[in-house]
Amino acid sequence: MSNMSLTGKKRDYDTQRQLLGIIFIIPSVIFLLVFVVYPVCYNIILSFTDARLMKSDFSFIAFDNYKKLFQNIRFLKYVKNTLIWTVFSVVGQLALGLAIALLINKRANVTGLRSFLLVPYVVPAVALALVTKWVTNGDYGIVSWWLNWIGLLEYRQSPLAVPGSAMAVLIIVNIWRSYPFPMLIYWATLKGISHEIYDAASVDGCSAFQMFWHITLPHLKSTTTVLAILRIVWTATYFDLIWLITGGGPAGSTTHLPIMIYQTSFGTFQTGYASSISVILGLSLFVCIVFYVRKTISNDR
Amino acid sequence: MRNNIIKHMGKNLWFYLLVLVTVCIVGFPLIWMVLSSLKPSVELFKMPPKILPKQPTLIWYQNTFKDSVVVRYFLNSFVVSSSTMIIDMIIATLGAYSLARFTYRGRRLIMMAILSSYCLPPIMLMIPLYRILAALGLNSSYMGVIIGHTTFTLPFSVWLLIPFFQKIPKEMEEAAIMDGAPSFKIFSTIILPLCIPGILSTGIMVFILSWNEYLLSSVLIISDTMKTLTVGLANYISSTEIDWGAIMALGTSTTIPIVLMFSAIQKHFVEGLTAGAVKG
Repeated sequence: MSNMSLTGKKRDYDTQRQLLGIIFIIPSVIFLLVFVVYPVCYNIILSFTDARLMKSDFSFIAFDNYKKLFQNIRFLKYVKNTLIWTVFSVVGQLALGLAIALLINKRANVTGLRSFLLVPYVVPAVALALVTKWVTNGDYGIVSWWLNWIGLLEYRQSPLAVPGSAMAVLIIVNIWRSYPFPMLIYWATLKGISHEIYDAASVDGCSAFQMFWHITLPHLKSTTTVLAILRIVWTATYFDLIWLITGGGPAGSTTHLPIMIYQTSFGTFQTGYASSISVILGLSLFVCIVFYVRKTISNDR
Repeated sequence: MRNNIIKHMGKNLWFYLLVLVTVCIVGFPLIWMVLSSLKPSVELFKMPPKILPKQPTLIWYQNTFKDSVVVRYFLNSFVVSSSTMIIDMIIATLGAYSLARFTYRGRRLIMMAILSSYCLPPIMLMIPLYRILAALGLNSSYMGVIIGHTTFTLPFSVWLLIPFFQKIPKEMEEAAIMDGAPSFKIFSTIILPLCIPGILSTGIMVFILSWNEYLLSSVLIISDTMKTLTVGLANYISSTEIDWGAIMALGTSTTIPIVLMFSAIQKHFVEGLTAGAVKG
């Protein structure tokens, strides 16, 4: 009798605990439903309408926005710009992140150095954009002056005024800004490779390069995949830096899809049309997101 | 033996040389920003440029902070970032504890949703959020932009906090559970105090992300007096008459507090990030 009420109590207690777990997750779920899931759905709906920026009512026009988009010759050019921007930025930041991680990996007492190398991670994009504009200023910029001095740039010109080099400057600045994250993740992964493997290889007479090629690189493969996917999603959709440095110019040569979305919705007020561009961009990155989420969840927990 | 020492020194030399080059490249934009903010006009516009200011001046800082609009920007950013941080940390702490310690139906789905939102960039939410917040009348108050910033910082902080809760040994809770202590009390008296470092460092990271955010801030705030610092600063670039000294001073003042805050919490942040964000 007393035993039974005890288990009953235990069960009550377990239910009460379980309830707490559910109550605790509710605020997060509600917030995400209202301000993330609903907006994403709303965005998709808007892409089938003729919505304008300042008007709250709209009517459905089926696939007209999409048809218009695929007939727009500039769209293809901006897709190309997005690809160039994304591929070079991601490859660059992963390569630099890995190089620096390898450089500091085997040393003790690098905490101070590592802290310093992480700083670009938190530098506001606006401040970085301002400095970039200042150093590449045609008349007084130090970088423009250096480039002119070594003969790469005409006198009193800014690299931001020339289509090809404008994109190059943006990519370099973006790599500067975003290498710390890959560096950190690579560094953590390198720490996780056991020393015994290297010791054994060293006894067998492997050269440093052989060890890197046959031991280090294979261990980094899965980290690289996950990193690359996450950074592709973030880079392809990253707006601030390009907008603040070149605004998409000169002559649209640095306009990528996020800037096209912004200009379409806030420049020419075609909200519905802009939504269709962001749906296309989102769809093409959807595969990446699904892959990332599945891989991370199955690995981690 | 001697050969070994020479070889060792040579190796070290390469290491220090590479470190030096890296440090110079990484430091250049920031150092140049600070140095430029300390130069008087004559030196700023001298060609070829000299690295160090010959006659350092604080005139740009004085001019900038005399402007009441700039002070207002700082205040706005502070209000927005700290509110985002507080709201975010309350929701995320509860959520992360729940995901770390409980099992219930739908938990996996919620994890996936949070991780997907973590990947979701602000540009995807810009248009619908603009419309939704305008319809709710929130685009003329701080609340609109705070909500905007929470959309991308919340998934980030839940994800970052989970490992801090998982790290607490289960035994610490189990004794209290055996005694039948109320579950909320277990959370507030045993778990929460142990997670304070994690919560603080994640909170500061949220503050930083919110402080730095530009796109949503520029779109979701209509009123001029409520603009945040990043938006105000960006307007300086687009204005025709560019006062480089003042801009560099303002850029420096925007960046320095953030870098200092980050240095303070960096250790905990690195711990959380490498435990949770990407595990290959």
